[in-house]
Amino acid sequence: MNQISVGFLQGFTDGIRKLWEFFVSRKEALLELTVEHIWIVLLAVLIAIVLGIILGLLSSYYKTLASIILPFTQIMMTVPSLALLALFIPILGIGFKNGLTALVIYSLLPIVRNTYTGIAGINPRIIEAARGMGLTEWRILIKIKIPLAMPVILAGVRTATVMITGIAAIVYAIGAGGLGEFIFRGISGTYREMIMAGAIMTSILAIIADYGLKAVEQYLLQRQS
Amino acid sequence: MIKLKYENLMKQFPGSDLQAVSELNMEVPEGEICILVGPSGCGKTTTMKMTNRLIEPSSGHIYIDGVDNREIDPIKLRLGIGYVIQEIGLFPHMTIAENVATVLVEKKWNKEEIRQRVDEMLELMGLDPEIYRKRRPSDLSGGQRQRVGVARALASNPPIMLMDEPFGAVDPITRARLQNEFLRLQEQMRKTIIFVTHDIDEAIKMGDRIAVMNQGKLVQFATPDELLSMPANEFVGNLVGGNRSIKRLNLIRVDEVELRKLTKLTVAHTRQQAAEAVENNPLNLAVVVDGQGKLLGLVSRSSLRHEGEQVKDLYTEVHDIVGLGSTLNDTLSIMLGYGDGFAVVVDREGKPLGAITVDDIFSAVKEDE
Repeated sequence: MNQISVGFLQGFTDGIRKLWEFFVSRKEALLELTVEHIWIVLLAVLIAIVLGIILGLLSSYYKTLASIILPFTQIMMTVPSLALLALFIPILGIGFKNGLTALVIYSLLPIVRNTYTGIAGINPRIIEAARGMGLTEWRILIKIKIPLAMPVILAGVRTATVMITGIAAIVYAIGAGGLGEFIFRGISGTYREMIMAGAIMTSILAIIADYGLKAVEQYLLQRQS
Repeated sequence: MIKLKYENLMKQFPGSDLQAVSELNMEVPEGEICILVGPSGCGKTTTMKMTNRLIEPSSGHIYIDGVDNREIDPIKLRLGIGYVIQEIGLFPHMTIAENVATVLVEKKWNKEEIRQRVDEMLELMGLDPEIYRKRRPSDLSGGQRQRVGVARALASNPPIMLMDEPFGAVDPITRARLQNEFLRLQEQMRKTIIFVTHDIDEAIKMGDRIAVMNQGKLVQFATPDELLSMPANEFVGNLVGGNRSIKRLNLIRVDEVELRKLTKLTVAHTRQQAAEAVENNPLNLAVVVDGQGKLLGLVSRSSLRHEGEQVKDLYTEVHDIVGLGSTLNDTLSIMLGYGDGFAVVVDREGKPLGAITVDDIFSAVKEDE
């Protein structure tokens, strides 16, 4: 092995050791921030699920609402998150509630869309049969539409959760707490291990959320077919 | 007794200049299958859907047992009318039992009643409840799904049924079988049924009365026989088609024809006994049955040429098999399909009752005229 690779390998193992030491020495702070992070994400997703499914359902019944909401969500999801958050600040101000609101708005987008498409994707013959047999609109919704749309809705919840796990790291910048603290403080103090700890924990949370929710999706899909 | 009365029924859909249904007047007696038949767009499905108010008429009335259906709560109305559509629309996320129980759950039957009823319905449709109760629609074949669809519609024992091409989505052999089974059921149930189809042969086979529709108008309302012998105009004549004698094959069933006798042999009989039976029979055939009397095959002059001294080596399988409920049309199709001039008639358990030949079929139609 030549000098450069040896030097690289040395630096790499050094870096890992320093990172590990950081994790160990700051584990209380790390834990606190992680819990804060999980908390804000969880809260946002739960609020978004309730609001999002309701809006999605309303869109499936009222076409005019759908024609407003769906293009709107499309646009919002395309705009980069940091830019969007920057736009929110003058409207929302700063603090935990505001960070939460931003995250809720973000989570709403995929959940509303997926609720709408999940329901729209149901074979209309199934709905026709249900109606012809004498089920009321409400019963059709509960017994048929929601269960059949559930996998798609859940996929939307999964997208939302993974997305805002990352964005939550940024809402620190507007005073909402979370692992973003390590990332931003690390950047301003040029403390490499702090940045990495923040980033790694955020990524781990996102991956757990993704796999965890995917498992729930698979389970539901299996039960259905 | 008139169960359903359609009075001056009209329907024009918004955004369309055409009348989907115009001036429909028709009375359907209780206990009859009333077929609505006609080309695409003639208004037959629209008429059917106005019966349970899935579509509301532009004007006119539909009276059910003398009561205007607009005075009945639409949900109550539909819960009391069985509904079967071509694609069936089984709920994919529910088991077969849950599907069949749909209306019963809405009617708040208790669990035990529902269980019993579901099993009854599955058995009625020839599906073993032990096997099919827990299955999902995606596990079933097209024909089985169709049966579940009918079971679901029959579950609450509604006096009226609406069926829109219910046997359309399966192959012709399965369709014929489903039609025969349904007709047999109807003999017991005597429900009042509105049955939509575009297939004139199905109309003639299934209908007690047929309503021929074209471009929203009722062109002729008559029994199958009247339709075949006295079509109201050129349109009906063309719809029914030439070769009306052949169409009448759908009106006669195997059990109305005298069957030719066939000697029954077992696998243990000798070559000599078999040869005797074959020679003594005008058709030169004998049937072979198993220990329970069920059909195993046939011995013919050509199968006697096989090696062996016992019937078990001397018989061949038979493909042309029909039940007593089959129409002469089905029977002729099977004969033509296999290239034989005869078919063996069996009962519900598969025991041979006799044979029917092409000549028998022709005679039966001739006599009928």
